[in-house]
Amino acid sequence: MTVQLLDRELDRLEGLWSDGLAETYESYLDAVGHFDPEVQPKLALAAALIESGVRLQGLGGRAAPPTTLLTGDLCLARGSRLLADNAPLPVQVAFARAIEAASSAAAAEQPAPALRQLLRQSLGTTR
Amino acid sequence: MSHRLDFATTQATEFVDITDRIRDEVRRAGLRNGRVHLQSLHTTLGLAINENEPLLLHDFESLLDRLAPAGAGYEHDDFARRFEIPIDEPANGHAHCRQLLLSAFATLMVEDGDLVLGRWQSLFAVELDGPRQRQVALQLDGEIVRRDEKVSLEALVELELARQLMVDPEPVASPMRRLVEAGGKRLRPKLVQLTAGIGPRSDPLRAAELAAAVELLHNATLIHDDYVDESTHRRGRPTVAAAEGPERAIAVGDYYFAKATRLIAQIGNGGVTSALAAALESVCASQIDDVAMRGSYPGDRDSYMRVIRGKTASLFAAACESGALLSGAAPDVVQALGRFGDLLGTAFQMADDMVDFSPSSGKPVGLDIRQRVLSLPLIYAAEDRVVGPEVRRLLAGALGDAEVGRVAELVTSSGALPRVRQEAQHLVDAAVRELEAVELDGLRPTLVGLARAAVDRIS
Repeated sequence: MTVQLLDRELDRLEGLWSDGLAETYESYLDAVGHFDPEVQPKLALAAALIESGVRLQGLGGRAAPPTTLLTGDLCLARGSRLLADNAPLPVQVAFARAIEAASSAAAAEQPAPALRQLLRQSLGTTR
Repeated sequence: MSHRLDFATTQATEFVDITDRIRDEVRRAGLRNGRVHLQSLHTTLGLAINENEPLLLHDFESLLDRLAPAGAGYEHDDFARRFEIPIDEPANGHAHCRQLLLSAFATLMVEDGDLVLGRWQSLFAVELDGPRQRQVALQLDGEIVRRDEKVSLEALVELELARQLMVDPEPVASPMRRLVEAGGKRLRPKLVQLTAGIGPRSDPLRAAELAAAVELLHNATLIHDDYVDESTHRRGRPTVAAAEGPERAIAVGDYYFAKATRLIAQIGNGGVTSALAAALESVCASQIDDVAMRGSYPGDRDSYMRVIRGKTASLFAAACESGALLSGAAPDVVQALGRFGDLLGTAFQMADDMVDFSPSSGKPVGLDIRQRVLSLPLIYAAEDRVVGPEVRRLLAGALGDAEVGRVAELVTSSGALPRVRQEAQHLVDAAVRELEAVELDGLRPTLVGLARAAVDRIS
């Protein structure tokens, strides 16, 4: 990922990159290879932000303290904006459905689906 | 008029009776006499008209199973011989074959505002490869009765909200339903609907879908905000966090954040999706700044303006832009409406701050002070030469009932409230001027009235 992209997209979230977001980002790179080279890092970062955001919020577990929740919210919103600007519609819809599945399971106090797997599948959605 | 019917199925094979939902669509559209055309948007979802009798539906399932049993060696299921199959491709040759036995289309007649159906006839969407999320496309044509536009727009968005909540799982739908039913000003959806009437592609049903999604998005942010602010009540009812705990509040907020972004994306207008996604990001970033500012409470005007433009005005602006974009309005109109929304949202937030000092508002006076919520009247009172030192001293300490009451008294006795009122009214004047240079297809008076009303509640 370019330094410029990182600078722009990690505004207010700088600490997260060295705190696990970099590894999460790496874990999505092989799932975005079928997209245009220009958007691959953006989509991998979107997925990483969403996974990290949900983890920060404590979704499905103990609620995060308020300031951490807000950081998680910003991760979700930024990931969503990256998808809105760069992903095909079926991928945007699949990502939203993955979050809906995880959050409705959490609200029902049921075991959460594996979010990384859902998001990786979402990146492969074509219809 | 075009529309999409969304629903979730829960079984591998399922007859979903959609008759009442189609009836609702006919009523919502005001179709008096004409036709409803339906089309399945899936290759494993059929449409059928028959009797809704449970044993008969079981007979139908058995028939489909006999004619095209699952796992009967379909070539479609031989993934080794197919190319470019998605990672989640199911083995569903039987479902495709079953769909071939049904129809993907249906046309129903409408007379006197109701579907023409025989006594035992119901319309089914037939799931053949569930459970899944499904969509049926609808087109209505014929004699449409136009009702009073204002009433109709408001009713449309309420119906759309109710419709969306009806299909959601109860653990998330129930808290959101309470929040939606508690009321609220619905300014953001109103702005979407009004601005969606400006361009050449005006479609009230699509506008209502977008408006409801924007309201759900706004409510999702409120649910998280209430946990962050430790608010116990909103719109006169316990907050989700107070009633059901922060874990549930986080889950409900996330669910509707995701659902709203999906509904917006599915409207299929990239400009709309991008505008609202950028606004949501701005809301979240500004909420972080808002909480950070509480360390230097009550802060200063510049910081206040930066935060409320991100936290409140950005979604007003995006609501105006997205409605206009949806209707195919010209770029200069979209931009002017965006500026209108930004100025209006800023004025609205200032007016909202003033409500905290009004004994007739129905809310306890000084709630924002107690919760150390950003407030322009408080900032101005803290800067005041006469009352400022005492306001700052009180805010620096613990805020019990006596201290909150005294701060409210000091703010009211200072010139802070008239100053904020005047500033809000100037912003509304500026917002109205943004509308003067563009063609708004007769909607200018309505938008101006709405903008004036946003600050009139403090006059």
